[in-house]
Amino acid sequence: MSILLEYSPHPIEQFTRSGEFYRHPIRRSLFSNLHTDPGSTYSIHPNLKNIHLKEPPFSPHPTLELDIISSVQAPQFCMTTDSSASSESTAPKEPSLEARSPEEQTPDPPEVKTLDRHLQVRFKSDGERLLLLLPPETAKQDSAGGLTWTELSQQLQHRLNGGDRFWQPNTTVHLMAVDRLLDQRQLQEIAEILNREQLQLDRVTTCRRQTAVAAVTAGYSVEQQSRQETLQQAVQNQAQALTEPLYLQTTVRSGVEIRHPGTIAIVGDVNPGGSVIADGDILVWGRLRGLAHAGAAGNSGCMIMALQMEPTQLRIAQAVARAPANPPSQYYPEVAYETPQGIRITRASDFSKTQMLLGSKRAGHNL
Amino acid sequence: MSRVIVIASGKGGVGKTTTTANLGMALAKRGRKVVVVDADFGLRNLDLLLGLEGRIVYTAVEVLAGECRLEQALVRDKRQNNLALLPAAQNRMKDAVTPDQMKQLIGALTGKFHYILVDCPAGIEHGFQNAIAAAKEAIIVTTPEIAAVRDADRVVGLLEANGVRRIRLIVNRLKPAMVAANEMMSVEDVRELLAVSLIGVVPDDEQAIVSTNRGKPLVLAEELSPAGRAFDNITRRLEGEKIPFIDWSAPPDNFFTRLRKILTSKII
Repeated sequence: MSILLEYSPHPIEQFTRSGEFYRHPIRRSLFSNLHTDPGSTYSIHPNLKNIHLKEPPFSPHPTLELDIISSVQAPQFCMTTDSSASSESTAPKEPSLEARSPEEQTPDPPEVKTLDRHLQVRFKSDGERLLLLLPPETAKQDSAGGLTWTELSQQLQHRLNGGDRFWQPNTTVHLMAVDRLLDQRQLQEIAEILNREQLQLDRVTTCRRQTAVAAVTAGYSVEQQSRQETLQQAVQNQAQALTEPLYLQTTVRSGVEIRHPGTIAIVGDVNPGGSVIADGDILVWGRLRGLAHAGAAGNSGCMIMALQMEPTQLRIAQAVARAPANPPSQYYPEVAYETPQGIRITRASDFSKTQMLLGSKRAGHNL
Repeated sequence: MSRVIVIASGKGGVGKTTTTANLGMALAKRGRKVVVVDADFGLRNLDLLLGLEGRIVYTAVEVLAGECRLEQALVRDKRQNNLALLPAAQNRMKDAVTPDQMKQLIGALTGKFHYILVDCPAGIEHGFQNAIAAAKEAIIVTTPEIAAVRDADRVVGLLEANGVRRIRLIVNRLKPAMVAANEMMSVEDVRELLAVSLIGVVPDDEQAIVSTNRGKPLVLAEELSPAGRAFDNITRRLEGEKIPFIDWSAPPDNFFTRLRKILTSKII
């Protein structure tokens, strides 16, 4: 049975774990990075899994016992997509993630904001060679976008560190600079970084004349495109399916953000302060302690999976949840998914059953 | 070939400079030729900790400006001839130097010394970028506090992004009694989060403050204090020796330990 939280001193809902009982914290972890607040505790039904199996998952259900000891004039929840939640107010702290009503969400043409998203360096294998895609510079006016050169080279290095098992030494790399302005020194630096991983830069595709000149001077073969062509490509991409999954073997450390217009699999930990943002699912083979946002383009059927789920915050499509104040004493591999009641977490071993009951991933929204 | 090691932390006040001074001195004591480079332009402290403040004539900025030769700027330590300090300018800001110039400086020092230890400023801005520009190895100093560890994590990420692969960790100012009482992060907590190899654990030691004020690194004491012993061990691990980690967990506070404390403490 799920829980409906109606009042809370927080604008963001805590995610609920199924099959666990959180009422009285015995030991509050000193070092969890969760922003705990004193006094607010709530309980959930201890045996959620079984009830899920017996009842239709999204039938109208009574609100379970809920004791909130802190202030009463607290604002109501906003991040839930539940229609029965008292109101769909906008979270003041998360303007970009305001909750949408379920009716709005049911059809699935997610507004793909390609330009302010995924402004990251990407590798793509293309037969024998490797394509290195740089984020376009056009998004620079955008407050969220616009990578500086330092950020770009750091990102490149991170991606290389995370995936260096996957290419043969001496693979040739084709740099797709799009409309990014690169001078000779920067091209040389890219080549050096690639060289360190035994990758050879041999070709540059660009639509900027200066970049083309710099690349020719540096001795790379150059392919120059017209600008319109690339813009059209970007538009075409919007309608396409998700990109191939991104597999990284790395620790996502504080300050590092991994964005990918597809599914992300990370072998390693996501540390507090790090974030992973995917249009598809997120799999973390390790500890998830930072922020994870699955289905960032609006697909609420996306899931977040981790061996050890202790995130600062979880986001799936438009829903946001923070971790409960009292972390469980023991962690199991868990899956986070979105329900009309907000984000829920289930042990991976139980998840397949729950998922079967859910039937279609988006069934819940039709209620 | 010289080993260029940057000592970084992200957060300020966790003991970077103390670590640099002690490791530099301990390596010099072991017969290595060491130069410690203060990269904290505008807020230099390393000279104070080494007690070399009064002997600075030229600084790195003057070397770069061509106003003096590199050898003139290097301050030799009188106690340990193997140790030299390349001081930072106090009257300039961090952007007085560029990463390329820093590389140039370190490049000029390589070959002449076994170890080049770069004391990194706090933060991750310009001064940090300068300090790590030429480094091949790094030692991350952190205290077992959540903010320090978080910043250290960020710094490890930045170091990795800048091609520094050999990163090792010092957990500084550990209070074993507090760890035992579950009031402080344990070394294991820190190590597990940062996922870099541990090179040493330094217990909280009041002698560190005394040594800082006197300008005499802990490792120079005739009888090493706990922190001094830890730094000595770290030095030996840097040199490739396999030294077991000292278990700093607090001894039970009984009559005998108290008696021993009374007997070993010096009467001033």
